[in-house]
Amino acid sequence: MILSSEISFWIALTQIPRWGNVKVNTLLQMIFEKEKIGLEDFFSRSVQEWKEKFGLSEVDCENFTAAKNELPNYSFIAEDLLSQGFEIIPITSSDYSSTLKENLNPLNAPPLLYIKGNKKILQESSLAIVGSRDASEISLQFTDKIARLASKQYKVVVSGFAKGVDKQALDSSLKYKGQSIIVLPQGISTFGSGITKYYSQIIEGDVLVLSTFFPKSPWSVQLAMARNPIIYGLAKEIYVAESGNEGGTWSGVLDGLRKKRNIFVRKPEAIEKNANNILIQKGAIAVDFDGNSIPFQYEEIEQKQLVFAEPKNISKETKYPQQENLFK
Amino acid sequence: MLSRIEAEAKLKTLFGLEKFHDNQWNAIENIFQGKRVLLIEKTGFGKSLCYQFPATQFKGITVIFSPLIALMRDQIKKLNTLNISAQCINSEQTDEENQSIIEQAKQGKIKILYIAPERQENNEWIEATRAMNLSMVVVDEAHCISVWGHDFRPAFRRIINLVKLLPTNFPVLATTATATKRVEDDILKQVGGNITCIRGNLLRDNFHLRTVKVDSEDEKLAWLGATINQIPGNGIIYTGTRVNTEIYSRWFEHLGISSIAYNAGLDGELRKEIENGLLDNRWKCVISTNALGMGIDKHDIRFIVHTQIPASPIHYYQEIGRAGRDGKPTYLILFFTPDDVQLPKAFINTARPSAEKYERVIAALKKEPLGERDFMRVTNLKTTQVRVIKADLLDQNIIREVSYGKQRKYEFQFNAPKLSTTSFEKLREAKLNELDKMLEYVETKSCRMSFLRNYLSDAHTESCGKCDNDVQKSIKVHYTDEWKEKVEAFHSSYFPALEIEDAKTNLVNGVAASYYGATNIGSIIHKCKYENGGDFPNSLVKQTLRAFKKYFSKETFDLILYVPPTESGNLVKHFAEKISVALVIPLSHNLVKTKQTQPQKIFQNSYLKHDNVAGTFNYTKPNEETENPFC
Ligand SMILES: Nc1ncnc2c1ncn2[C@@H]1O[C@H](COP(=O)(O)OP(=O)(O)OP(=O)(O)O)[C@@H](O)[C@H]1O
Ligand SMILES: [Mg+2]
Ligand SMILES: [Zn+2]
Repeated sequence: MILSSEISFWIALTQIPRWGNVKVNTLLQMIFEKEKIGLEDFFSRSVQEWKEKFGLSEVDCENFTAAKNELPNYSFIAEDLLSQGFEIIPITSSDYSSTLKENLNPLNAPPLLYIKGNKKILQESSLAIVGSRDASEISLQFTDKIARLASKQYKVVVSGFAKGVDKQALDSSLKYKGQSIIVLPQGISTFGSGITKYYSQIIEGDVLVLSTFFPKSPWSVQLAMARNPIIYGLAKEIYVAESGNEGGTWSGVLDGLRKKRNIFVRKPEAIEKNANNILIQKGAIAVDFDGNSIPFQYEEIEQKQLVFAEPKNISKETKYPQQENLFK
Repeated sequence: MLSRIEAEAKLKTLFGLEKFHDNQWNAIENIFQGKRVLLIEKTGFGKSLCYQFPATQFKGITVIFSPLIALMRDQIKKLNTLNISAQCINSEQTDEENQSIIEQAKQGKIKILYIAPERQENNEWIEATRAMNLSMVVVDEAHCISVWGHDFRPAFRRIINLVKLLPTNFPVLATTATATKRVEDDILKQVGGNITCIRGNLLRDNFHLRTVKVDSEDEKLAWLGATINQIPGNGIIYTGTRVNTEIYSRWFEHLGISSIAYNAGLDGELRKEIENGLLDNRWKCVISTNALGMGIDKHDIRFIVHTQIPASPIHYYQEIGRAGRDGKPTYLILFFTPDDVQLPKAFINTARPSAEKYERVIAALKKEPLGERDFMRVTNLKTTQVRVIKADLLDQNIIREVSYGKQRKYEFQFNAPKLSTTSFEKLREAKLNELDKMLEYVETKSCRMSFLRNYLSDAHTESCGKCDNDVQKSIKVHYTDEWKEKVEAFHSSYFPALEIEDAKTNLVNGVAASYYGATNIGSIIHKCKYENGGDFPNSLVKQTLRAFKKYFSKETFDLILYVPPTESGNLVKHFAEKISVALVIPLSHNLVKTKQTQPQKIFQNSYLKHDNVAGTFNYTKPNEETENPFC
């Protein structure tokens, strides 16, 4: 657990202009692992030390000084959030999702999670179901099926609260009395209507709402895109119900493949118009309607005259090297 | 950092004061070092300066959480005359006013900003704090943080949470005049260490404490009627209830003694007007509930009378503390009749609704998030009960207050603990003990000031030498026949006002025959309605006609209508018939109900009462008076 007086430092750190996750996490490593001090201590050091010990640039130092002056302001915001039942989980906390850290090569993982609901869900085995907003009936049925399997195997379903597949994943997961993580494309305090809708599941501990953005941020395309890697990162397995050849799902899967994730794509029927086969060709694993992988279906695809390559078999070792004891 | 000498030079130019009291400087020095300070000093000591002076030296804004709007206004007036930019944000100002002050604060145009703790629940405020350059946070009247104090306020819970979240080198000052050791410890614990406590002595050496034992409420009226003008200067009379502020002020009016009633039920404008009048000594006395005065910096309040014993010695110390700040002789008079214990006892025993009612709220909130109004409708609980339950459930982390756009709603929490009522019971016992201590104060034969100081954990040995026990002079009341007659004449000519006029209705204000309990009228009506006592007796008709004569005899009336009954049969109809005959005003039977309603008394709050009768009355012949043969 972090001290409550540290929360404002965490928020300040994530609000430094033009500082992405990697920069923030690298600094955190220096603070916590190399220097073995706390955030509050770091902020109280001189500009000189910031430069020499922590490698901050002149501009960084200006920005950090400004952030330091804003600490009391962040305390006001934090108090407001906490009193509304939101929780703030920093990357150094044992409540933080280890799956997310592992999948995102810790340096890319968001330094702060804003959540509401049962945070223990973050420690469960998990799978994500993703797909288009205007998915076909068959994709939705597939989603339903995977959600049912997940529930049976006590796996948490991670989804992104968009229309179509996301929404189906969530609703089916709840229908089968499973647990779900909703990953928001917006700040957590702008999600009132969603909270009302899933209120009873949230208070019963079956739904966790999670956002990695500044709490008041409204929905935006950028945030929706930025959220995709979080969905993938929170899940041990990723199932794609349906993807077009552009848009969020498409780029999300490609990004996942680049990161050498195992991504299971529903093998489409011959008549379907979507890009599922292309993703399979690009390295995703084809699965049937029950989510079982189907390794021997090349001919069929060749008959349809689609370019196709054998999906690579990816072993755990080829992932980013695990950085031990990071943020422990 | 400023030295004391440098600071005092600035003090002179900025505030026109020569030097700091030692403990003031002590506190200020700590604040300049970015420390957190709990300052416990007697009323009138000058605690405000301990944040006002640093505020003038800081670059940014100092935010002061203060529970009392009257105090904010008072302090701001003074600061503004010193050319220090100070403002307040509170619910008595319009949204536009508050908005423009927030704007100024964001632009760095304000040094000192007073704000009610409830504001912490307001989205726009939280949003605005993001853009302010904050230098210090002050929690005034910090005893409100503790349930063991005399004036616990749930809104302070969030202020404490805020303080905990502030960086540890950010200066925070908490002040109070009335903290027992237990309250002090509670405050220190809640803030979570890291805080320096500065405590001064609590002796008020110009106080003449007096206790007056009487046999009835009427004797209090009589003694005050006969004596108040003999007490030098101006002062405050505290009554236990709002109703009594009115009764006492009408009694003084009846006697031609200048006074005014003040209570939290009055609208903001009027309260402001009375506060100003108090400062200007416009009346001999202001008659008030304890809503008036805490923190008001008037130097020459010469006397404070309590017609009702306060709930504890801390309450008493706090309330009399408002008097005699100029150090000149000041009289503090406490009335007591044994019956007076009933009121505070009832408050303590009914402070918390039954566990069943808590569970009712919890069950409702498990179904859906609800606003306060919604859950009053769903649970049929009184406003006051709902507030208490809400605060306790928030305190026990069972529910949360969440903003939904502009609205605030309450949510049940995942993993919420079970309701615990043991703390309620402990608190009730503690409060009953404090009340016993207050009775001990009444009975004590030794120094009264010492008694109060001991109670407030202020170590000392000397007596004050001025209280009735020290000087061995006590006030005796002789309730003469002359005064008995005066009091009775007052009661039979006094009709409480029924104030209902507002922009939404064309009804006008009326009067009632009596307050329930102040005379025997209430019990007469109860007998007729619920114990088959037959029609309302002629005495009630006569009292009503007296009221009519006093207030409405110059008006002309077209018609008398009466409210159709729910379950009391023809009682009201027959009563209206008698009034109609006596006043020779025609009676109409055409005000009817269009559907069956429930008796209003089964509904505990105004929303449900409103829902019960809204739209159910119909006046079937709106033009009948022109058709009436009498006209
Ligand atoms: N150092 C000083 N020298 C002279 N007068 C002072 C000094 N400090 C404060 N005063 C005056 O004392 C008066 C009372 O101050 P203040 O209202 O701050 O009291 P307080 O301690 O807050 O009392 P309360 O508990 O009633 O709120 C003010 O008029 C103030 O100007
Ligand atoms: Mg004060
Ligand atoms: Zn004495």
